[in-house]
Parts: sequence; structure tokens; C-alpha cells
Amino acid sequence: MSENKKTAEMPMMGPGGRRGPGMGMVEKPKNGKDTLKRLLHYFSVEKKMAVLLMLVVVVMVGFSIYAPKLQSNAIDFIAAGKFNKVIPVLVVMLVIYGFYALCSLAQSLLSAHLSQRIVKRMREDLFHKIVNLPVKYLDTHPHGDVMSRMTNDVENISNTVSQSFGSLVSGVLTVLGTVGMMIYLCWQLALLSCITVVLTIFVTKFLSKRMKLFFVKRQELLGSLNSTTEENITGYKTVVAYNRQQAVIEEFDRTSDELTRTGIMAEILGGSMGPVMNVVNNIGFVIIAAFGGYFAIRGIVSVGMISAFIVYAKQFGRPINEIANLYGQIQTAIAGAERVFAIMDETSEDKSGDPMPEGKGVIRFEHVDFSYVPEKQVLYDFDLEVRAGHKVALVGATGSGKTTVVNLLMRFYEVNQGRILIDGADIREISMNELRKNIAIVLQDTVLFSDTIRNNLKYADLDATDEQMEAAAEMGNCNTMIRRMEHGYDTMLTESGQNLSHGQRQLLAISRAVLANPKILILDEATSSVDTRTEKHIQDAMVNLMKDRTSVIIAHRLSTIQDADFIVVLDQGRIVESGNHTELIEKQGRYYELYMTQFLGKEI
Amino acid sequence: MMLKYLKKYWFFALLAPLFMIGEVLMDLFQPGMMSTIVDEGVLGLSNGGVGDLNLVVVEGVKMIGVVFLGGVFGVLCGVCTNIASQNFGNDMRKDCFQKIMTLSLEQTDQFSTGSLITRVTNDITQVQNMVAQCIRGFIRMMMFFVGGIFFMIQLDLSFGVVVLCALPLVMVTVIFFISKVTPLYGKLQKKLDRVNSVMQENVTGVRVVKAYVKEDYEEKRFFDANDELVGTQLRVLVLLSYMMPIMNIIMNVAVVAVIYVGAIQVKAGDVTPGNVMAAITYLSQILNSVMMLAMLFQTVSRGTASMKRINEVLTCTPVIVNGEEETTQPETERGSVEFRSVSFSYPQAKGDAVLKDISVKIRAGETFAILGATGCGKSSLVNLIPRFYDVTGGQVLVDGKDVRDYDLEELRGKVSIALQQSELFSKTIKENIAWGNPDATDEEIRKAARIAQAEEFILKQPDGYDTIVAEKGMSLSGGQKQRIAISRAVIKHAEILIFDDSTSALDLKTEANLYQALKESYPNVTKIIIAQRIASVKNADRIAVLDNGRIADCGTHEELLKRSEIYRDIYTSQLKQGGEIHE
Repeated sequence: MSENKKTAEMPMMGPGGRRGPGMGMVEKPKNGKDTLKRLLHYFSVEKKMAVLLMLVVVVMVGFSIYAPKLQSNAIDFIAAGKFNKVIPVLVVMLVIYGFYALCSLAQSLLSAHLSQRIVKRMREDLFHKIVNLPVKYLDTHPHGDVMSRMTNDVENISNTVSQSFGSLVSGVLTVLGTVGMMIYLCWQLALLSCITVVLTIFVTKFLSKRMKLFFVKRQELLGSLNSTTEENITGYKTVVAYNRQQAVIEEFDRTSDELTRTGIMAEILGGSMGPVMNVVNNIGFVIIAAFGGYFAIRGIVSVGMISAFIVYAKQFGRPINEIANLYGQIQTAIAGAERVFAIMDETSEDKSGDPMPEGKGVIRFEHVDFSYVPEKQVLYDFDLEVRAGHKVALVGATGSGKTTVVNLLMRFYEVNQGRILIDGADIREISMNELRKNIAIVLQDTVLFSDTIRNNLKYADLDATDEQMEAAAEMGNCNTMIRRMEHGYDTMLTESGQNLSHGQRQLLAISRAVLANPKILILDEATSSVDTRTEKHIQDAMVNLMKDRTSVIIAHRLSTIQDADFIVVLDQGRIVESGNHTELIEKQGRYYELYMTQFLGKEI
Repeated sequence: MMLKYLKKYWFFALLAPLFMIGEVLMDLFQPGMMSTIVDEGVLGLSNGGVGDLNLVVVEGVKMIGVVFLGGVFGVLCGVCTNIASQNFGNDMRKDCFQKIMTLSLEQTDQFSTGSLITRVTNDITQVQNMVAQCIRGFIRMMMFFVGGIFFMIQLDLSFGVVVLCALPLVMVTVIFFISKVTPLYGKLQKKLDRVNSVMQENVTGVRVVKAYVKEDYEEKRFFDANDELVGTQLRVLVLLSYMMPIMNIIMNVAVVAVIYVGAIQVKAGDVTPGNVMAAITYLSQILNSVMMLAMLFQTVSRGTASMKRINEVLTCTPVIVNGEEETTQPETERGSVEFRSVSFSYPQAKGDAVLKDISVKIRAGETFAILGATGCGKSSLVNLIPRFYDVTGGQVLVDGKDVRDYDLEELRGKVSIALQQSELFSKTIKENIAWGNPDATDEEIRKAARIAQAEEFILKQPDGYDTIVAEKGMSLSGGQKQRIAISRAVIKHAEILIFDDSTSALDLKTEANLYQALKESYPNVTKIIIAQRIASVKNADRIAVLDNGRIADCGTHEELLKRSEIYRDIYTSQLKQGGEIHE
């Protein structure tokens, strides 16, 4: 498991791989066997289908062995001049071929369904995992890379399953059957052909070790390329604003070139598997022929048996060759599967716990310490009680730890020391979903989905009626704005939000929170891009909303927090002052200082 | 289009099939040698059943040599194919990305991020596969196909008739399935876009998803998108599942027909049974190659669908292009911006124009603030200066010259803009700042950070300036990210500095310090500041109040207080009861 942990963290360095000895990451190919086992597990769930498929393949292998026999029978009859016997054989052949065609139809239909089911389940599992991972994971891993796993890696697995499952099964069956026949015919010679097997295993091991490096590295580079692409396309405006297109292109080209180099190496090595196997097989064949001849001369075996044996030995080579040819593809799939499983091995958020305690929403922070990175503490001995229905404002310089408080309250991150209580219950005891359902949050970076405005607002409460939604929009001061749009509430929001200004998006996010009707409301710089007049309107409306709710507000505009019941001034992770507006102004301390700069617009 | 990219690697693309021919030839030698070993060496057919071990060893070594040579040819063929196809893909990928980097913002908006990412990665891979398989497969198939037909007709014309009957059937089948499946491939890529988009939204919006406990809802949304993708893929696979058995039947019926025809011919004494056997071998070779061709067509039709999507990007001409006029500007005016009866509405957006008849001149070195209600068009106005978008009416002049006449790079070099949403890249803080000016020295970087009031918190990061900004800046707050973005804007040393509400997350003290530092360090730079807070802008030389796409008023803080009702309204709303404290 610790192996997998390491894997999971590597991508974090992924795009950073350009810097420093990043490529050292490839040195250790991960446990392929384990991955294969887990991959097989996906098959085992589709047991019925997999078994059925296997059966069909067995029948097909049987047919494909039997059909040539019929063919040679027909030719024999022709050669013997027994033309009247040819027709019945041909009829049987047609029937057999008909069956064969049906079987092959069944085979490809089955493997299509099987592969797609597996892919569907795998993507679902992966997505399920991703949405349930702690926020920290996505905070620390390049998004493009995570996405690459979802699409590229899963797609590779899918292709391999649908394309090579059949040949793999029939290959293995043929090998097994042939080996069985060979042992039955002459165990001495069969033992000899084990040389081929040993050689094959040896060569495969030798080659695959080297190949794996490239295949794993290729998938990693692909992830990294995806990250670069994602980052620069989402941040395209910034790229344009700084005329950095050229530099970005160069960076992209570097990764792309490296990907190509690795890809070429991987493919060449993967492609050489077939020819190498061919050579190995023929060496085996010559050995068998030589010893077979020797045995024949010594009279240990009959000449007829040798000729049969040699036919089998030839047959033996073909499926091994086929499998070897698939090797590259299988390697890519396994490398991909490893990356997928690496995410799946991350620990999910623990959603279990007690229901939200009955109460009005008293929040209590008890001696909370917290740091994102071990040596950099962000909060020190944070101690605060927010009374039910109170409006508490957190102020302080940027980076003083205000947002961290929100992260902890929502359990996006867990406290290191101390505890947070809501209505007397430790939030770690409350189930995450319960906790979050009772807290609504409006963030500074507004996240809206590319969907209609209606669906975006109702995101908070899917069962809300249109009346409730419009009431919430009214309260968030965006009803008129929405009504003015051509399609009103059915206006589609574009991904980049081009059709709305930042402020308008914030208004929508606020309305969404209003609709959630929570016990506790958190506004983290929620109105920073809303003009003050609009903000005033929102606030007037929210006075009612916040009346019976505990609210935590983070804002820089002191005007928005003056009527808070309690103001906490944070500095470098510590509470330096607290009290209400009048008290703090009278105190002439840090708050007073902040307040004065706000209105005078310059430093004191 | 594709040929253009392949041209560079024509040498390898041609060499690969040659090696392939070598490999095939070696493959053809091998059965003969093998039968010699078996027949003469082991079974001793011509020697009365006494094998010749020497012959086995000698021929065996020869055969291994031939196989080895064939293997070498095979590997070389692979080497050439990969060099050609992957470099081809690489060139195309790079061009595609390069093209995206020249597109105008409205165009990237139209494509959507998810779709562009799929095009640069997945679609390119599909086309690359197509090229590789064509190089490797096409020639080989053609060799078997043409050769097979040739030899077959040589054996006996009647066999040729069978082939001639079977081939059109095969062709019709292939054409039928390919024409059915091709549109599905285009659809498939679109569904992939959708999966990518949902995924991207979730990855970027985790906090909101979690805050609203919408994991299940998002899963459903993703599952729907995924079901559609899987469904489409399944339709493709199911459709193709029918192709192979049909081809099989045609092929096998043809084999039966050859035997039947052969029997008649043998009866008539025209051909020997051996000929019939050979005919069957050739026939299966021909039909095998046709089947392989059909497989190849699959890849080709998928590749073509992807190629179309890539072409859409490659042939997309940027809407906003370099100006052509090569006039030198008067040196006296460095950093002036003038809007002349500018009106603007977003492309595709219907309804009211965002900006209506805006006329204002911002003097060089002036600090000009823009204030206004949410959605009144402030950002849109400044977006016109570096030509993120073009005006729909009127003109914007920078240093007395229409922005549309500038070379884009020159224009954007004059303007530095700190955006509302600060996009940081997953590099070190230092690199993120130096992004604004790649030639900046460490000292300059630190100076910029100091001006942006960022140095203090940067030094507190685990590795100081070398701390890597993780995705979304895990340990960076909104205000910290904004200050890094501001440092980046400052370090660019542009004539015009635009802050597009980029200080919204800064507390006022920090913001005040920032403006103070900026004023001292860059007195001659024109500063355009969009802000919400009057305190942030009251010291500006002039403040424009934007209302509903028009400039309602423009003047100094004092003037506006006196004559602009809207401004007064904003002012009192911000000051509230705190107003008396400093007055």
C-alpha cells in the first residue's frame, strides 16, 4: 500500500518534472501482478458474461481446428476422384461455417458489452472516488493529470479489453491444449519444448522490465501534457495578457517532444516483442526437430508421432506470437490501470458519524492548531465561541488564516490539535454530509456549472419550487438581472462564464446559498466583486435571512461587517482582538487601524 | 492536410513498407525451410525414412538466421513506422496547440476548454494511430490482395470468377458498415468532450460540490455523461460486431465455392487437386487482407472523424489579428488611452449592448479609476484596451493610435493587466511572478513582490520564492494569489497598468500600501483601476462612474461627491455610520 501511496503522489511532481531530477520517478516500475489481479477483479463481477465469452471462444477454437480438417477431407475426395462425396462435405462445411460466424458474432458482441461494462464501472468507481476524496487531494494534484486518468487511461484499458480479450483467451487455450497433446504424445519431447517456454519467459521478463519503464513514463508524460494543456487553455486570458504564447508553446513542445521520444521507444520495444518471440519459437522448433530426429533414429518414437508433434510445436508458436504482439497494448493498459488504482487507493473522506445535534447552531473552536504543511503553522490556539444566531465577522490581513477557519469548519481539512464543536458535538463525530448540509457557504472564487441558471440555483436544493428559487434570487438581488436575459432562468451559463460578470456570478452564488436554507451561513469574501450598493441591497435582505442563523462572515470591507454581533481580528493565525464594532473602535487597536485606513485610503 | 505533416517524414514512411516487404519475404522463405527440415532431416522422406541430423542442424541454423533477419526487418519496420507516425502526431499536436494560442478569446470560449483538451490529446492520438496502421498495414494488405488475385487467376480463370463474385459483396459490406459507423465516431468524440467537461467542473469546483453535499448528484451527472459515452461506444462496437461474421460467411462460402468449382474442374481434368489447395490458400489470403483492410477502414474512419475536429482548430483563423499599419507613434504620448464613442457587445450575445457610446481620454501617467454597479461593463471596457475583444463601434486608441492598427504583441507589451480571477500556474512563486517578464532578475522579482505587498507572506512559505504553487494554490488564500498576480503585472514594466478588480480580496490596509508603493515606484505609468470600494479609488486623479454601459460622470472624488448622485449613493452605502469618523 505504501508503494501505491508513492505512486499517487508522483503526479504532483509531474509537471514539475521539467525541473530537477524529476525523471527519477520512473526508476521503479510498480507491481504489475497486483494491478493485473485487481483488473481481473473487474472481470469477476461480470462472471456470467466472462464465462459465456470464454465458452464461445472455446467453441470457436474447436471449430477453427475442425474446419481445416473438413477442407482437407474435401480435397482428399477430389484427389481420389470421389466427386459425389464432395457435396455432403461441403454442406457440412457450410453449416459449420454458419455456426462459426454466429459464434464470432456472439464473441464480439459479448466482448463489446463486457469491455464497455467494465469501463463504465471503472469510470464510475473512479469518479465516485474522486468526488469523495478529501479536498486536499485535488488541491495538491494537477487537474489535467487526474482527468487524463479518467479518460486516456481508462480508454486504454477499454481498448485492450475489447480488442485483445478474445485473442488472449483463445491463445492461452490453444497453448494449453497443445501442451496437453504434446505431453500425451511424447513426454520427453514435451519436456524439451519447455525450453521454449523457459526461453520465452526469460526474454519476456528481460524485455518487459525495460518496456515497462517507457510505458509507465509515457502515461505519466501524457498526464503532464494534459495538465499543461488544461492549465494554459483555462488560463488563456492570462497567457494572452502577458504575450506569453511563445513561451507556453515552447513548454508544451518540450513535453510533447519528450512524450514522442518515450512513445517511440515504448512502441518500438513493444513491437519488437513479436519478432523476438518468433526467433525464440523457431529456436525451439529446431531443437525439437533435432532431438526428434535423434529419438527417431534411436527408435524411441515413431516417425508419424514426430510429424504430428512438429505440427503441434508449430501451432504452439502462433498464439504465443499473437500474445507477444498484444504485449505493448497490454502494457499500456496496465500502466494506465496502475494510475487509476493509485487514485482508488487514496483514503476517502469518512462520511460516517452522528446526525447533526439538535440546537440553534452554537459553534465553538477550542484551542485549534492547524497547518497545511507540517512546518508552517497557520492557526495557533484558535479559541472562539459563536453564539446561536449571532453574526460573527473575521477580519485581518490576507493570509492571516481566515479562510482556513472556514476550511476547518466545513471539514475540508481536519484540525491538528484542539476541536471544533457545533451545539456541543465535536464536528469529527458528526457525519460530513450532515454537517455540510447544515452549513451553506459562498466562496470568493465563484463556481458555477455549465448548465442553466435555474439548475445552478437549484443546486442547493433540488426539490425547490420555482417560487422558492425566485424568492431566493430576489433576496440575492439577481431576479431582475435574470429576468432581463433573453432566456431568463433558462439561460445557459458558459463554462468560462463569458456571459456574466464576476459580480453577477457572485450574486448567483449567494442566491444559491440562500436557497439552501442552512443552519449556519458562511460568506467568504462573497461580495468582494459586487458593488457596494448592490451589496447593501443584499445585506438588507440578508438581515432577515441571518436573523435565526449563525453566520460567519469574512470580508475586507469593514462597512459590511460593522453590524456584526462580534468581530474577531486575526493576525498571523492568532486572535489579536475581539468585540463588537464600537468596542473595538474605542480600543484604538488593530481594528481601529484597519478601519481608519479603509476610509482615509492611506496608511496611518 | 495530413500529407503536409507526413511529408517531413516521407523517408521513414517509405522505408517502413520496404522493411515490411523484407519481413514478409523472410516469412515466405521460412515454411519451405521448415518443411525441408521436417521432410528430409527428421522424417527422411527421400532417404527411406532415415533422418539426417546434420541437415537438421545446418538447415535449422539457416532458418533461425532467416527468421532472425526477418525479425530485424520487422523491428526496423516498427522503428520507421513509429518515427514517422509519432513525429507526425507530435508535429500536429504542437501546431494545434500553437494555433489555439493564437486564437481570440471568443473563439476559445466557443470551443470550450474540455473540447480543446480532448482535441489536443485524444483526437491527435486517433489520427496518429491511423497513420501508423496505414503505413504498416496498407502496403502489406495490398501486397497480399493484389498478389493473391494475380496468382489465383493464373491457376484457373474459374477461380477468378469466384473472387469476382465475392469481392463486390465484401466491398458492399465494408462500405455499408463504414458509412454507418463513421458518423458515430464524430459523436463519440463529442461525448468524450462532455465527460471531460463534467470531470473538469468537478475537479475545479470540489469545494462547492462538497459544501452542498452534492457528491451523489454529481455522480449521477457524470454517470449520465459516461453512460452516453459508453452507449455510443457500444453502438460502434455492436455495429462492427456484425461486420466480421458477415465477412466470415462471405469468405467461407467463397472457399466452399472454390472447392465446388475445383471439383468440377478436376473432374473435367482442367486442374489438379493441388491447384485447388493452392487456390484455397490464396483465397484465404485475399479475403484475410480484405478483412484487415476493413479493420483498417475502422481506424481510418475514426481517425478521419478526429482529423476533422483537429482541422476545425487548425483552420480556425483568429478573429483578432495584427494591425497592418506601420506608422511610428509620437514619442510624446506614452501611455495614453482614448475611447472614442465606443460601443460593445459580446459576440453571439443578443440583447442590450454592454457598452454604449463611451468617450473618455485617459492621459499618460494618470491614475484613472472606474467604479460602477455589478455587471455595468467595467471589465468589458478594459478588455478592449489589450484587444481581448474588439469594439463593435467607435475606436480605442492607445498612444494616439487605433489598437486595431497595432501589432498585437507590441500592443499587449504596452499594457499590463491583473485579472479579476488570478490564474496561477503550477510552478514556483518566483516563476509565476517572472511570467510577466521572463528576463527579470531575482532582485526585480523581489521588488515587484514588495510593491504588491507580497514579499512578507512569500518568505513565510516553506520554500520562500521557490515554493511551488500547487493546483488552485492549496496554502494560498485568495488575497495571496491576487498579490502574486499583481506582482506579475507590475514586473512587466508596461506603460499602462490595469487592475481589473484585482485587489478585491486584499484588506484595505494592504491595498492602500500597494497603491502607495506603486505611486512611488512608477509615477509615470498610467494606472487604470477597477474597484468596488471608494476608499481604493478616492485618491485617483479621476474617477469614472459607469452606469448601465454609459459613463454617468467623471471627475475627482470631491467633484463627484458634489455633483454625482450615484457616486454619493455608493459613498454613503460604503461609509454608513462610519462616515463621521474622519470628517
